[in-house]
Amino acid sequence: MKLITVEQMEQATERLLETGRKVGADSWQQRVKNQTPHCKFGEEGICCRICSMGPCRITPKAPRGICGCDVHGIVARNYLRFTAGGAATHSDHGRSICHTLYQTKEGGNYTVKDPEKLKRIAGEWGIETEGKDIYDLAHEVAETALMEYGKPFGNCRFLSRAPEHTRRLWHEAGIEPRAIDREVSQSLHMTHMGCSSLPEALIRQSLRAGLCDGWGGSMCGTEFSDVLFGTPKPVDTTANLGVMEKDMVNIVVHGHDPSLSEMIVFYAQDPEMIALAKEQGAKGINICGVCCTANEVAMRHGIPMAGNFLQQENVVLTGACEAIVVDVQCIFPALGPLSKCFHTKFVTTSEIARMPDSEFIHFSEETAGENAKAIVRMAVNNFKNRNQDLIHIPDIKANATVGYSVEAIKKCLDGVTNTQVDVTGTMKPLIECVKSGVLRGAMAFVGCNNPKVRPDTAHIELMKKMLANDILIVVSGCAAQAAAKSGLLDKEAKELCGDGLKRVCELVDIPPVLHMGSCVDISRMMVLASDIAKDSGWNISQIPLVGCAPEWMSEKAVSIGNYVVATGIDTFLGVDPYTKGSTEVTELLQGEHGVKDWVEAKYTVELDIEKLGDRMIEAIEAKRAALGI
Amino acid sequence: MKTLFERVFSGNDEMYAQAVKAVDEAMAKLGPDAPATFGDTAYSLPCFYALTGKKVGTVGEAKAALENEIKAFMTRNNRTKDIFTSGVATALSAEMIELMKYAVAGGSPYQEPVMGHFTDAQVRELGVPLVTRDIPGVAVIIGPAPTAEEGAALVKEYQSQGIFVTLVGGIIDQCVEQGVKIGFGFRNVALGYDLSSVAHVVSVALRAAIIFGSTEPGNYEAMWRYTMNRVFAFVNAFAPVDDMTVACGAGAIQLGFPVVTNDTEENNMFRVPKSIVIQPDVSKFNATSLEARDIKIKITKIDIPVAFSSAFEGEIVRRGDMQVEFDGSRKTGLELVRAKELTEVEDHRFTLIGPDFDTFEVGSKVDFCMVADVAGKNMNSDFESVFERKFHAYINCMEGVMHTGQRDVIRIRISKAAFEAGVRAKDFAEVLYAKLKSDYDTVIDKCEVTIITDPAECAKFRQEVAIPAYDKRDERLGSLTDENVEQFYTCIMCQSFSPSHVCIVTPERLGLCGAVSWLDAKATNELDPSGPCQIVPKDHIIDENIGRWEEVNDAVKKYSQGALESVTLYSIMEDPMTSCGCFECICGIEPFSNGVVIVNREHAGMTPLGMTFSEMASMTGGGVQTPGFMGHGKHFIASKKFMKAEGGLGRIVWMPKALKDQVAEKVNQSAKELYGVDNFCDMIGDETVTEDAEALLNYLTEKGHPVLSMDPLM
Repeated sequence: MKLITVEQMEQATERLLETGRKVGADSWQQRVKNQTPHCKFGEEGICCRICSMGPCRITPKAPRGICGCDVHGIVARNYLRFTAGGAATHSDHGRSICHTLYQTKEGGNYTVKDPEKLKRIAGEWGIETEGKDIYDLAHEVAETALMEYGKPFGNCRFLSRAPEHTRRLWHEAGIEPRAIDREVSQSLHMTHMGCSSLPEALIRQSLRAGLCDGWGGSMCGTEFSDVLFGTPKPVDTTANLGVMEKDMVNIVVHGHDPSLSEMIVFYAQDPEMIALAKEQGAKGINICGVCCTANEVAMRHGIPMAGNFLQQENVVLTGACEAIVVDVQCIFPALGPLSKCFHTKFVTTSEIARMPDSEFIHFSEETAGENAKAIVRMAVNNFKNRNQDLIHIPDIKANATVGYSVEAIKKCLDGVTNTQVDVTGTMKPLIECVKSGVLRGAMAFVGCNNPKVRPDTAHIELMKKMLANDILIVVSGCAAQAAAKSGLLDKEAKELCGDGLKRVCELVDIPPVLHMGSCVDISRMMVLASDIAKDSGWNISQIPLVGCAPEWMSEKAVSIGNYVVATGIDTFLGVDPYTKGSTEVTELLQGEHGVKDWVEAKYTVELDIEKLGDRMIEAIEAKRAALGI
Repeated sequence: MKTLFERVFSGNDEMYAQAVKAVDEAMAKLGPDAPATFGDTAYSLPCFYALTGKKVGTVGEAKAALENEIKAFMTRNNRTKDIFTSGVATALSAEMIELMKYAVAGGSPYQEPVMGHFTDAQVRELGVPLVTRDIPGVAVIIGPAPTAEEGAALVKEYQSQGIFVTLVGGIIDQCVEQGVKIGFGFRNVALGYDLSSVAHVVSVALRAAIIFGSTEPGNYEAMWRYTMNRVFAFVNAFAPVDDMTVACGAGAIQLGFPVVTNDTEENNMFRVPKSIVIQPDVSKFNATSLEARDIKIKITKIDIPVAFSSAFEGEIVRRGDMQVEFDGSRKTGLELVRAKELTEVEDHRFTLIGPDFDTFEVGSKVDFCMVADVAGKNMNSDFESVFERKFHAYINCMEGVMHTGQRDVIRIRISKAAFEAGVRAKDFAEVLYAKLKSDYDTVIDKCEVTIITDPAECAKFRQEVAIPAYDKRDERLGSLTDENVEQFYTCIMCQSFSPSHVCIVTPERLGLCGAVSWLDAKATNELDPSGPCQIVPKDHIIDENIGRWEEVNDAVKKYSQGALESVTLYSIMEDPMTSCGCFECICGIEPFSNGVVIVNREHAGMTPLGMTFSEMASMTGGGVQTPGFMGHGKHFIASKKFMKAEGGLGRIVWMPKALKDQVAEKVNQSAKELYGVDNFCDMIGDETVTEDAEALLNYLTEKGHPVLSMDPLM
């Protein structure tokens, strides 16, 4: 088993940047140089520009802002605003999925692909399913879900999925999220000029805003995407830039919302479109994904993954991208000007993500089919406009098996149960492996790329280290793609594992790194952790399980971090969340008596990747020792 | 409570300390140069050799092995790798303890019913049934069951499924107490009372990897991969399970063998999916174990009053235990299959002509004809002998019934116990009907069985029906030569065990295991066109003398996945056919006489080559080509194609007497036809003549053996 190395990927990128230089294109690599050094006040989180009296920057000479807020209040307010941005983003993505669910009808653009799951969720929410038409039920559940965003009373319904102990902690800490939008609004309200400046209160709300995302908006996004497009199950695919096809029309889908990408995938298989492509001299239509959209379509259809966040410009630089079609989140505005250097059509589709130099085709649930078809047709017709001299597709591609939803993981684990003694449909086989020490524990790798870290290196190196130590890994988002691009999602990656994990992978027939989906799908990991807790009798915080975002960059990632920690899972960051300017906030987030007293877990920030890995293993072993296993 | 790791490490330390003690004691008593061997194996010390690639022959070497290689496996990090290698070190320490018992005793320290070490010949004998899944798995039962009844019931349940059972510790006496038969022939072997004796079955698995898998000794991962993927063994460990047993279990799990136990988590046992399975209910051990090891039992439920299982195949009914005997050598005793038209056969009809068993005097010899008439749309009279030859195995699988011989020289004994259980003529019919129909369901649409016990009717049937049928068949068989058939067949039935071996089966050269003739291969191909026997056309001959065909080479290349480029069918010197390791016989060149020595698996003694069967066999097998050595079936010896390229069977200079007697008639006949020599077998040496090469040459000279006038082999 040979992984594709970061060096190989960098060489491929370097070759593409040569093309870029030839056509006068800009690149993130160049823009990083232009932006360095970064503003120190910003990095430490000690600049406040919430009102127009400032901006105020805290220095030893000026320890308070004009309103009198100290550094701890400023850092905490910034942190909460950052969180609110992320929570709003994920949750709004979830909301749009709920709207799509509401639009489903028999034979419509969108249908219910997993009625069983729909009924299961309806059951959880106390909605009667007996004798109901599946679409009536879908609409009722969708409406109930949409009410989750603004209901006047009560807490998020999905909290009931958490173990009792966790729910009690949330209740006692006063961080059970109420309506999803309310937590975002309240966060903005609390951080308005002249409201909260007490770090403890601001961090508490940060956890609550995170929880409304992970156990609210994101969970809606995940669960109803499954209902709409099918609950993922293991499927083989390929990853890295080599998935683009020289002789085919390449359409790259990028962003997050599967409502768009699902339609594009559907129409790319339309015989009429394929015939049109052949008329244009192409061998067919090749859809590939970038960023979380790649995760969504890969795990449901095996669509190849061209790359993650910092590879988005590369797909255009191949000169073989007919169209890059985007919806929301993590899309570089740079794609507009870059696409102008090539024949590539940069198609924006959402009113949420409007950008200069793009062709805007407003994609709505009602007209999704027509919109998608128009986009595919535009790409196909663009094939002939390629500049043959600029075409270069790097010859790097790895195999991957993706699609490990919680349901799929349980199904895999059922395969190693013994019907004479075991029950099926539980996490028990995994727990037994951990309890006996055959596996030391599990880790969740999530998050983005960030130029502050050599791209993908932290993800890949840390994962390799954990595998060698018999630690099972679950991944999502751009971390998942880093793993996929290097070959870590290939079942053959078992060869990199310690003997325990290797044996588990062989018996269960899984890769050692389980792809759980996009960034909203970290909600799946919360359900996974809850199920492990319920089936083991341990509290979530006792499970030898930690989370890690070594290359994170977005507001969403901070929101995620907050709900992961709040759920009881120690979380390790490789990039500082703009809080080091305040000892109090750092103590609250990372100390022994901050959030840890409320939710039994905390953050660790360690920029040295090697040390970060060691500390994660130490954390796992400490949890084992505490359990006496 | 200890962690699983602590239990394995401490169990390993304990077993290792015992091994050190045993070696030191042997050293003090015998000195370092004293030989240390289990005997009858070319792979001494088998487990140690398999896993390290180093051999041990003396007590001194044993001590060095213990202190160096075995100690090196005993790492102590909290990672699965460490419990795996420590588990293996426990098994290797156990093997050392057993070895010292043999060294001190100067031979086997065990007596009935305990067997201890398996000989290489026994391992090879297990090859075919393990491949065909006739033995679907191997159970290793450790310790006493909660009650002797439960222990015996478990063993019997495995036996009834054909599972090969090995026993360690208290379960042995429980079997004895409950009258469960113990012995290699019953596929129920007592390894020993000490836990260390478990090494003897580990040794079987690892030698299988070397013999059949051609796995390189010392390639640790290749060894456990082979045993995990191809040896369907599992462990049943009865509570209370001590640390040493847990450590042995870790070694078993490394090799891919799950452990099922009735010990509990409260008592510090652990659950690991498909590896350690806790089953508190001993009556469910069987089902739990089979599922844990993914063993599927082919169910042929036959409605007869005694058990029916391959476990009883080797059972011997002694004269004193005998109710009645059918003996073809003294009375009429025959079996026959006739292919008929569909309209002539009534499915599942049973006809008895003459009295049933109850009327026979106890201990008497009586007349007996057993006839199966079969019909089917795809029936071919060539299949008659294929089906008929299966009667031996079918009838033998009946508990308390023994069958030997074939055609009109069969001998069947029915034990008193079987008779008392109610076995009658119709049960024989039922067995034949059920087995023929299930094994050959694609060709046999209808089957009916007739049994004749009336002496006059028997004699008449033999004269008028059976003898002409056999003669006709012989004529057809005799007329089948490599030249006059249109195609040969591959046989890769062994590939589940020996992944790079391919047999090419021709009319004059049956498969080396002795179990697959050209007709068998043809039938297998017709029964299962995508199965192990594929047609090899023979349109493009390259060299007729040594038997080289383009299509044969293509087939060998394809089905060995490129491991082999070419084979010849009639030479042992140039690209000889490979062996899986299950072969009945092996021949090897004898340089003094320019001849070859042939030795069969059953022969334990020395040969003029200075090697035993096991040692010669270790030269080849596992799909490896070794010019000068070749595995083959017994029937091939008399074939005119045997070593045709080197001058034919006139090259044979030595065979064990038993083998010689078995093949003499046909060999003499072939020699007469080939060389005009009478009584050729009398010129061939055997162990009663000499086991010495020089003395053999003198004997050959004295007898005027034709080999002396042949060209040198090399």
